[in-house]
Amino acid sequence: MNDLLRKLRPERLRELVLLLLILVVLIFFSTVIEYYLNARLFNRVSTSVAIMGVLAIGQTLVILTRNIDLSVGSMVGFTAYFVGQHLSQNNEITPLVAIFMAIGIGALMGSFNGFLVAFCRIPAIIVTLGTMALYRTLLVEYSDAQTVLTVNLPKWLLDLPRVNVLSYERLNLRLMVAGMFVVVILFQLILRNTSFGRKLYAVGSNPEAAKNSGFPNQKIIFTAFVLCGALAGLTGFMFLARFGNITVVAGSGLELKSVAAAVVGGVNIFGGSGSIFGAVLGAVMIDLLENSLIRWLQISEFWRDAMLGMLILTSVATDSVIMKHFRNYRLKKTSHTNS
Amino acid sequence: MFYRKKITLVILFTMLIGSIAMGHTIAKKGLRADLVLMPKFLGILVFDQANEGAKEAHSEMKNPGKLLFLGPTPENSVAGQIEILTTATTQGQDGIMISNNAGDQIAPAAKKARAKGMTVVTWDSPIPSSDGEQLFIAQVDFNETGTVMADMALNIIGPSGGEFAVLSASPDASNQNAWNAAMKEALKAPKYSKIKLVDLVYGDDQSEKSYNQALALLDKHPNLKLIMAPTTVGIAAAAKAMQDEGLCDKVKVSGLGLPAEMVSYTMNGCAPEFALWSFVDLGYLSYYATYLLATNQIEGIVGETFKAGRMGYYTIEKDPTRDKGMRVLMGPFTVYNKGNVEASAK
Repeated sequence: MNDLLRKLRPERLRELVLLLLILVVLIFFSTVIEYYLNARLFNRVSTSVAIMGVLAIGQTLVILTRNIDLSVGSMVGFTAYFVGQHLSQNNEITPLVAIFMAIGIGALMGSFNGFLVAFCRIPAIIVTLGTMALYRTLLVEYSDAQTVLTVNLPKWLLDLPRVNVLSYERLNLRLMVAGMFVVVILFQLILRNTSFGRKLYAVGSNPEAAKNSGFPNQKIIFTAFVLCGALAGLTGFMFLARFGNITVVAGSGLELKSVAAAVVGGVNIFGGSGSIFGAVLGAVMIDLLENSLIRWLQISEFWRDAMLGMLILTSVATDSVIMKHFRNYRLKKTSHTNS
Repeated sequence: MFYRKKITLVILFTMLIGSIAMGHTIAKKGLRADLVLMPKFLGILVFDQANEGAKEAHSEMKNPGKLLFLGPTPENSVAGQIEILTTATTQGQDGIMISNNAGDQIAPAAKKARAKGMTVVTWDSPIPSSDGEQLFIAQVDFNETGTVMADMALNIIGPSGGEFAVLSASPDASNQNAWNAAMKEALKAPKYSKIKLVDLVYGDDQSEKSYNQALALLDKHPNLKLIMAPTTVGIAAAAKAMQDEGLCDKVKVSGLGLPAEMVSYTMNGCAPEFALWSFVDLGYLSYYATYLLATNQIEGIVGETFKAGRMGYYTIEKDPTRDKGMRVLMGPFTVYNKGNVEASAK
């Protein structure tokens, strides 16, 4: 028992509980919605999660350092528009160049956030609230009220959301979903196995201690924002591929969802704890709920956002109450055996 | 020969007298009025087209005042519109043209503007209660919109009938609500008895939300034959969603769309038919009405007729689609299909 307890870190428990909750949601909706559990649901939710998941990973990196990035929605919108417009004008741009263009622009915007937060010491919530509006206005001005139209986009981009890596019966693993898995694994490895990853947690859980141990706190925070921007850029590219028609409102509201995904996925809003895998699970949960609620006729349009809000509150509350008890309990039990 | 000329002259003269006698106002140029054109929010192509029309009229009138195109950012549409209206009042602008996205919530600010002597005209989307609004420039008759939508639905679904759903913009947009209500009313006629409206959802004029809503409609209603989207953003997003899912043979898309955005979907059969009016003309006409009101050349009462430059004569009438309020009706609709969409998309 104690052995099991020692292995079961609080983060792991949260992830397990979340997995269980996702199952509960699936079972619940399959009883109230007709034709619910089918291949189409998997294909749809997975493609949608691919976009949200990548963004949630970026958000997680920033939250781990005790900061927040509210400008991600605007960054996604701007990148989607910018890359879309260039691809419309020049269909010869290769996929790889387009992807790097998106990541580059995102990183540039992220570095501006990072610079203000890390080196000018302005609170992240203020900085990114400002740049959220700033990047959005930049998009409104830059776009000159024109819309990116699917008609002008190259064929490979329009076909991208339909490309499958694996197919079993009618279950499809779309290329975009596989892309998200690559990003998940990459960042999971970075966080677990590199010194940057460990410093990220250290800066978030105890900035003073990290500073006293000689960690370059500000540089680490800056890097987190740049990476978050880069991932928002990548999300922008995926967004463009999936939705095709990009107007100036593209991506608005994603900031809330990405924070929600991270928090529901067990990333501590006060920094220092949480995992990439958890954030992606959080994205799955939110997306599944959203996709299911719009099909559940009993719930009106106006209640859906409220449900999302309640979900965030519940998970933060559970985190602080239940997890605290669990941590204490685990500490007591395991320290007993040690002594 | 000479005689005929004389007759022509007499006829022309009578017509001239007649038009004056009937109170046709021809705009006096060069009077000063600082005007503001306010879209629902910035960054949507059709609103920019309306601005083009207003600018055209502005230079025709040689108005020494300024014409500003001011709109809120998309995520802040409702509060932003009220704020811009309030600021315009404080600045002492002479008139404002509003495409209302704030429902009746904008009425108190509009009333204050009126109390300060500012001209308040709505276009595209009116103030539902008409409180604080002098005149609404209606792009088309809102009841006719309902009939046009019902007709397109019938056309696409076919005489054997079937289910369809509406993908609207936002629950606060009064034009959208009026059109949907008018369509429901039109559907009561016996010839539509076999087509059935099964759902009404909102995509908030956001591509991604509209896209997801369109997909959800398919799941909710497996027998769905048509998605009707009376919004340019919604119709394009729904068409893309059907194309991505390879469902264009099964579920068609129709509604109000821009030819440039819809051309590929019309040609490949996803959206065989849709309709719209000219937003350039709507901006042009709105400008004329507002300029005339702001410079006191018309009063804004039922029965007044004025000339709107190249578009000809328009008469102010009681708005039959609302309990109160007056309107100037522009019209007509253009219905687009494979035959004319490519030429219009240029």
